[in-house]
Amino acid sequence: MNIIRLILAVWAAKLASVAGRIIGKKSSSSPGVLALKICPSLISTLKKNVKKGVIVTCGTNGKTTTNNLLNSSLKKYGYATVCNTLGANMVGGIATAFAQACNIFGRFKADYAVLEVDEASARRVFKHIKPDYMLITNLFRDQLDRYGEIDITVDLLNEAIDMADGVKLILNGDDPLTAQFGEGRDAVYFGISEQVLPETNETKEGRFCLKCGAEQEYNYFHYSQLGDYYCPNCGNKRPDIDYAATDVDLSESMKFTVGGKRIDVNYRGFYNIYNILAVYAALNTIGIKTDNFNEILSDYKPQIGRMELIPMGGKPFILNLAKNPAGFNQAIQTVLLDKRPKDVIVAINDLANDGRDVSWLWDVDFDKLEGANLRQLITSGIRRYDMWLRFRYADMKVDLATEDMKFALSRCFSDKDAEVCYVLVNYTALYPTQTAMLEYKKEADAALPVPADKGGALSAE
Amino acid sequence: MQNNYEINIIHLYPDLLNLYGDRGNIACMEKRLEWRGIKANVRTCTNKDHSIDLSGADIIFVGGGSDREQEIVCNLLLKKKDELIKHVESDGVLVAVCGGYQLLGKYYKTANTKIEGLGILDIYTDSGDTRLISNVVLECDKFKMPIVGFENHAGRTYLGEGVTPLGKVLFGNGNTGDSGYEGVLYKNVIATYLHGPLLPKNPQLCDYILERALKRKYSDFEGLEPLDDGIETLANDYIANKYAGGKRTLNP
Repeated sequence: MNIIRLILAVWAAKLASVAGRIIGKKSSSSPGVLALKICPSLISTLKKNVKKGVIVTCGTNGKTTTNNLLNSSLKKYGYATVCNTLGANMVGGIATAFAQACNIFGRFKADYAVLEVDEASARRVFKHIKPDYMLITNLFRDQLDRYGEIDITVDLLNEAIDMADGVKLILNGDDPLTAQFGEGRDAVYFGISEQVLPETNETKEGRFCLKCGAEQEYNYFHYSQLGDYYCPNCGNKRPDIDYAATDVDLSESMKFTVGGKRIDVNYRGFYNIYNILAVYAALNTIGIKTDNFNEILSDYKPQIGRMELIPMGGKPFILNLAKNPAGFNQAIQTVLLDKRPKDVIVAINDLANDGRDVSWLWDVDFDKLEGANLRQLITSGIRRYDMWLRFRYADMKVDLATEDMKFALSRCFSDKDAEVCYVLVNYTALYPTQTAMLEYKKEADAALPVPADKGGALSAE
Repeated sequence: MQNNYEINIIHLYPDLLNLYGDRGNIACMEKRLEWRGIKANVRTCTNKDHSIDLSGADIIFVGGGSDREQEIVCNLLLKKKDELIKHVESDGVLVAVCGGYQLLGKYYKTANTKIEGLGILDIYTDSGDTRLISNVVLECDKFKMPIVGFENHAGRTYLGEGVTPLGKVLFGNGNTGDSGYEGVLYKNVIATYLHGPLLPKNPQLCDYILERALKRKYSDFEGLEPLDDGIETLANDYIANKYAGGKRTLNP
């Protein structure tokens, strides 16, 4: 009976995925939700097919990148994996991944399950499957109206970790909010062990000592609340770092040293150091030899919208997704490193998956774009007028607010003064923006021959 | 636009109470003064340096924070209680948002502690078992434009008899979720649960705050020159129409 239920559920999920693709629906959680209705024990039954271990990645920012990079690394090292690569990270998304991995008899073979899990859903997911390793990237203010406050997220994660008896934690030691999970538990830490970026006055969240409430200080500070922190009052401090990045050089490509290995990759964005470190720490913790780690990194293709280069008729357009102040501040920092004259489009939505509250726009240092060699500034998305006001009250001129992304793109495309265009979007704006960009690309490429000297010199590809 | 007017704004504990982009409110007051040729001096009173003398303030602003940070701030603010009462009773302008609003009352009772408030307003706050999280649209008879914003609070704030609310709730929860009203207006105190960048989308409320401060300070002040609020109006309209489209009675 049970096996029949399971096979039915797997088939239903597979069919639903195919049907979803036909009607162009990109959600990868609904097939799993359906499968769980047919067979509630789907995940816990199928996890027996995972031979070596279950690795879960949580955290506000970088969890999709980290999880997928870890997955592709494991595969390159010759292991079979099951992974929710599409980023559907609640119980349904994980059920989809497991059902998809199955053959028609409801079985698969994997060495590792590599799962991205939503922080608030972790305790629900762990009822079905308990991780052997749990990686936490960071905790930032995210979607406040969904979680209430960051303290609630911490409580939910603590609850989840306690459910996963004997789990080995892999934690960002530069983040006091994340490092606290390691206390009294089995944990290793990664971090960036030197000053890299110039100091900023951005909002430092969670910078009060979690133990005593006194103001925390930093030997060096990276961004948000990340850095070599310590509390002058009670002595709470950054833990000893097991996997530390040193000799960081971001001048051209991204270079740093970890565990005696020099990493040199064509990634963009300081935050990617953390994603790579996290994967390196995880692989070592699991006990995998990381000999040719740099080569493995260079082969990895980031998922859409992470500083994704889309050239249009020879002009580089760069699409980046950020979901919260920390992510946007990092994107702005990356834009500032590009000295070319440029247009910037910012698209902000307020749908349920974005968080209905857009107050956080004022926690982002959008003012800094003033120094970005700007030619045109355009706002788009549902909350384009809020975004306009954000710039207006920073005394910055907005050239256009439009719902129509293709129109915005055409304005940038025809702007002869700008050599590059950055398109910064939040969550639900990503797919429609990418679609508009690919459509407009076709028109632009057809209209213009590609000049040989133009292109994304700073490209990730 | 020549004048010698000057407004001193003091932002209380932005280092502790900074949960939802409160700096948008400060930027809005500052720019709307500057655009009219009025000098704005913004200073902060922080955890590190709270030596600042509040008696020179024309507008005092206090924002919102998490429960943990709010408790720290409350202890700091109690030391400034007399100064704050003096400011309010001499018609000084005080803008308090979210956590800051709760702290002006008699007390704020959470599940396990009772935080003593400043007692400036005849209100008290109990914590509810759910958070009230929503876009909000208010009707306020002082303004043609509705007040729009976002609330996210566990506290239920009860107003004493004769305390005037800021507005009537057209959409959202407001003070208690069922009272039908939101915020408080008392002398020149404007207190509300609508957090973060409230003022940029509510230029009439911002100008009201500025005018109250200017009138108190300068006897020859005749009113603010109008600004082009086209974008502000579009941002306000979006929320007002989406959530309270048919309910507005004070439409211009």
